[in-house]
Amino acid sequence: MNGSAGSVGPMRVLVTGGSGLVGRAIEHVIKEESGAREEETWIFLSSKDANLMSAEETRAVFQKHRPTHVIHLAAMVGGLFRNMRQNLDFWRNNVFINDNVLQAAHEFDVVKVVSCLSTCIFPDKTTYPIDETMIHSGPPHETNFGYAYAKRMIDVQNRALFQQYGRRYTAVIPTNVFGPHDNFNIENGHVLPGLIHKTYLAKKEGKPLQVWGSGRALRQFIYSLDLARLFLWVLREYDEVEPIILSVGEEDEVSIKFAADAVVEALGFEGDVIFDTSKADGQFKKTASNAKLRKYLPDFEFTPFRAAIKETCDWFVANYDSARK
Amino acid sequence: MDGSVGPMRVLVTGGSGLVGRAIERVVKEGEGREGEKWIFLSSKEANLVSAEETRAAFEKHRPTHVIHLAAMVGGLYRNMRQNLDFWRNNVHINDNVLNMSHEFGVVKVVSCLSTCVFPDKTTYPIDETMMHNGAPHDSNYGYAYAKRMIDVHNRALFQQYGRKYTAVIPTNMFGAHDNFNIEDGHVMPGLIHKTYLAKKEGKPLQVWGSGRALRQFIYSLDLARLFVWVLREYDEVEPIILSVGEEDELTVKDAVDAVVEGFGFKGEVIYDTSKSDGQIKKTANNAKLRKYLPDFKFTPFKQAVKETCDWFAANYDSARK
Repeated sequence: MNGSAGSVGPMRVLVTGGSGLVGRAIEHVIKEESGAREEETWIFLSSKDANLMSAEETRAVFQKHRPTHVIHLAAMVGGLFRNMRQNLDFWRNNVFINDNVLQAAHEFDVVKVVSCLSTCIFPDKTTYPIDETMIHSGPPHETNFGYAYAKRMIDVQNRALFQQYGRRYTAVIPTNVFGPHDNFNIENGHVLPGLIHKTYLAKKEGKPLQVWGSGRALRQFIYSLDLARLFLWVLREYDEVEPIILSVGEEDEVSIKFAADAVVEALGFEGDVIFDTSKADGQFKKTASNAKLRKYLPDFEFTPFRAAIKETCDWFVANYDSARK
Repeated sequence: MDGSVGPMRVLVTGGSGLVGRAIERVVKEGEGREGEKWIFLSSKEANLVSAEETRAAFEKHRPTHVIHLAAMVGGLYRNMRQNLDFWRNNVHINDNVLNMSHEFGVVKVVSCLSTCVFPDKTTYPIDETMMHNGAPHDSNYGYAYAKRMIDVHNRALFQQYGRKYTAVIPTNMFGAHDNFNIEDGHVMPGLIHKTYLAKKEGKPLQVWGSGRALRQFIYSLDLARLFVWVLREYDEVEPIILSVGEEDELTVKDAVDAVVEGFGFKGEVIYDTSKSDGQIKKTANNAKLRKYLPDFKFTPFKQAVKETCDWFAANYDSARK
């Protein structure tokens, strides 16, 4: 069974979490960049359409849309501080969502599911760079172990579906994603959207920019539109059950301070920048190897970081009122 | 802790299984206390894979404590074929029981893990801190991850709500009321059943694997006494290994010899090396147990095997097989 449309008619792709950061980016690529092929149907699902924590609602959605393929992005997500407080909720809700989607996909004979993991679920004590074979090699960081284990279990379920039924469901592992349509909530958001929102407010209110943490933590950032283009390639062409890291290379790893500088420049902020070292940095580094991606796509070009930041900041300013925050 | 909720009402899920029956026996024969109620649940009464049925069981029995033994279990060969089912069914059972316990204000849940869920690539002996330090053996990763996630769930319940739910980690158990099915059972009950048949039919005893795999065996009645101690006295969220010491690790061949002696079997014993051994060793450290209970006495192995063989012979018709 291959992933092509021929054996099942044209692809009907269901995207769970379709209204989120990555879902919107995929929608943009499909609609604005001719990412879709003729006779393909793309359905972008949001939590308004179905609560995927419910097995019944999930099944109803599959019944209604009869997808041949699924891009599974839906999850309960949050930034560092929310994870630290609610490990049980992050564990349970995500296990339910993932089990419901993977099981419904199996029951409805979906040809391929591409789920979304993250480098933040990798072992805390590890050598660097991390690669796809290392996901389960040790416990994750204490701050988000509930979320991390729930995501890891997607890979376990994929492997078990392959072992017991021959299903080739797989997953991607992005590093830190950013872009338009993110969750820009300062308390619950991730580092870049949080920085963008805070810098916007600092500029507007004429106050200093307060950055949480020392600024020395290191991250590889991937622009949501680049990630979306790669997601489409994985859906169509990547045939392994083992997941694949989607990231810029190790040489493009930057510090939080570097990212803050790019945001300050993009928004033209001229006030003070203060690093609050009483706040946690989270994991100090999560350097991931993108060698597997480069083996498949040696020529893929990522959007330059500063350009991607500028586009995201411009979007945020233009859409401040409706942006999620 | 008894004082705040009145006498203990203990719900034992998987109550009709190997460990459940052993707990039932030790509770009746002296471990139970006055005013306590012990309820032994079986799958006939509630299918714990279903959230609704689990809720109904909790509503009916209103436990203050839970010993959670229920699981989809099987021997090496069944696990190898059905990793998805072992993963999903056990995750559902465990989530239902832990979540209902939390909702119903259960004071303490003691769940049951296993040394077979530990990392495959590891140093020995293994101890309680090592459970998540690497991937489990490939033969039963579905079951192994589902069991490991009990510990994750316990820690998350503690972090978010202060619940002190915990788990025990037995090594290979054996005893009366086991599943003696040769295809699906574990090594000891499988050997007992095969030896019984070999003797009855006057045929050789065929042992799967080389006989060189090493195991620590714990008698179900000893495990049951320790389970009751954990329920009453053990206050940590981190799990505790319940096992004989490293010095009592035996080969499968040692176990074969004990069963052969237990039945007085006089025929040939053949080792079929084309069959898998599973993990070659899983040596576990019981130092934590010994720190708490330095004087606990385990039943001597040969005696425990003899008692189990005698039980099997006397109960052959009704034994699960």
